[in-house]
Amino acid sequence: MKTEVEQKQKRMQIVVVGCGRLGSALAYRLFRAGHLVAVIDSSPTSFNNLPPDFTGRIHEGDALSQDVLVRAGIEQADALAAVTSSDAINAVVARVAREVYHVPNVVARNYDPRCRVLFEELDLQVISSTSWGAQRIEEMLYDSGIHTVFSAGNGEVEVYEFVIPERWEGKTLEELLPDEECLPISVTRAGRAMLPQSGLTIKGGDIIHVSATFNGSNCLRQKLLEQKE
Amino acid sequence: MYVIIAGGGRTGAQLARILVAQNHFVQLIDSRPEVLARLHKELPTEAIFEGRPIDPLVLEKAGAEKADVLAACTTEDEVNLAICFMARSRYKVPRTIARINNPRNAWLFDHKFHVDVAVNQAEIMASIIEEEMSLGDMMTLIKLRRGNYSLVEEKVPADAPALGIAIKDLNLPEHCVIAAIIRHGEVIVPRGITTFEPGDEVLAVADPEGARQLAKMLSPNKVGNGRTGNGV
Repeated sequence: MKTEVEQKQKRMQIVVVGCGRLGSALAYRLFRAGHLVAVIDSSPTSFNNLPPDFTGRIHEGDALSQDVLVRAGIEQADALAAVTSSDAINAVVARVAREVYHVPNVVARNYDPRCRVLFEELDLQVISSTSWGAQRIEEMLYDSGIHTVFSAGNGEVEVYEFVIPERWEGKTLEELLPDEECLPISVTRAGRAMLPQSGLTIKGGDIIHVSATFNGSNCLRQKLLEQKE
Repeated sequence: MYVIIAGGGRTGAQLARILVAQNHFVQLIDSRPEVLARLHKELPTEAIFEGRPIDPLVLEKAGAEKADVLAACTTEDEVNLAICFMARSRYKVPRTIARINNPRNAWLFDHKFHVDVAVNQAEIMASIIEEEMSLGDMMTLIKLRRGNYSLVEEKVPADAPALGIAIKDLNLPEHCVIAAIIRHGEVIVPRGITTFEPGDEVLAVADPEGARQLAKMLSPNKVGNGRTGNGV
C-alpha cells in the first residue's frame, strides 16, 4: 500500500545538502521512492555513505557557492533539505533556497540544540534531530505505558497513547487527565474509536489518545503512577 | 561605541586592538583555547568573551542588545552570515559588518543576511595588485567606501602627453577629478587653467576606467599603457 501512495505522488526534484549519515539515508530513501535526487557535499569521501545502488546525482562542492547550487538544479527543485552537521551552513543554504531560488519546500536540520534559535529567527522549517532523539529516549526510559504515536513540530506537542488500567474503571477522563497542557483526542473501546464526550466514564482496557506537551505528558505519567501506590 | 567582534583570528584580533586603543568598548568572541591564550597576551581581559560565536546565547551574553556595531570576522563565511542575521533580527544591532573569506560566497553578503558592509579581503588585495600591474606608477591610496571610486596617485614623467596643457583642456574622462597636485613638497589646489609639470604628484578621485585613462595621459609618450622599465 505504501508503494501505491508513492507511485501516485508526483516525481519530485529534490536537492539534499550534506551527505553524512542523515543526508545519505535521506537521499537514498528519496531515490528509492522514485524522486530525482541531487546530493551536495564538500567532502568527496562522504559519498561513500550512499549505498552502491544509488544512482542519483552527486555534486562535490561548497554548498554556499552559486555554481554548485545551480548545477545541482536548485532553480528547478521542488524541495531542498539542508542536513549537514553545521548549523550555520544548514541555515544559510535553507534561507537562500527559499528567499533567492523560491524552492517551495525547504527543511533544515538543527544539529546543536543551542543553535535552534537561529532557525526560528530565520523562520525555517527545522528538525532538531538531536534533541528530538534525546526526548524520545527519555520517555522510553520512564517506561510507564505512555508512548508517542505522533510528533508535531519538533516534539513541542505530541500525541500519546496509553491503556486505561483496571483501577481507573468507572472514573471520568477529566479526573485522570492533568488540567493543563494535555487534551483528550479519542477513546477506543473494543476496537471502535469515539470522540471523548465530557463526563464519559472510562473502562479498563480503553485506549486513550491525548495531545500533550512534554510537561503535560509528565503530569499524566505521574498520575498513572500515583494510583499504583 | 559598543563593538562585538566575532572571531579572534588575525583580522578580529587586530581590529580589537585598534578599537581598544581608541577607547571603544570591545567584546571579542572566540572559543578556541589556543586562540584565547594568544588573545589574553594581546588584549585586556574585559575585551575577551569566551564562547562559540554561532551560539545565540553567547551573542546575547556578550551584550548584543547594547551593541552599536557587530563585526563578523570568523574564517567561516556561513557563520559570519548567520551571526549578522541574528545580530540584526534578534538583537537589533544597528550596523553589521562581515568578512568574506571565499570570494565565491560574496553574493550572499548583502541584505539577504542583514549584512550592511561586506569586506572582501581577497578581492581588495587582488584588485590592488591588478591595478599596480596595469597602471605603472599609479598607486591606489584608498578605496572609497561606497561605489567604485578610489583616490589614486601618479607621478608625472618628463614626457607625459598631458604636460603643458591646462586641466580644462585635457579632456579628462567623466569619472575622474583631479583633487590635488603636490609640487616641490607643496600642495596646489588645481584650477581649470593649472598645467602639470614634470615631477608633479597628481592625486585624483576616479573609477577604474577614469584611472586607466588618466594613467595613459600621465605615462611616458612612447608607450600608451602597461609601461615597463624606467622610461626616461
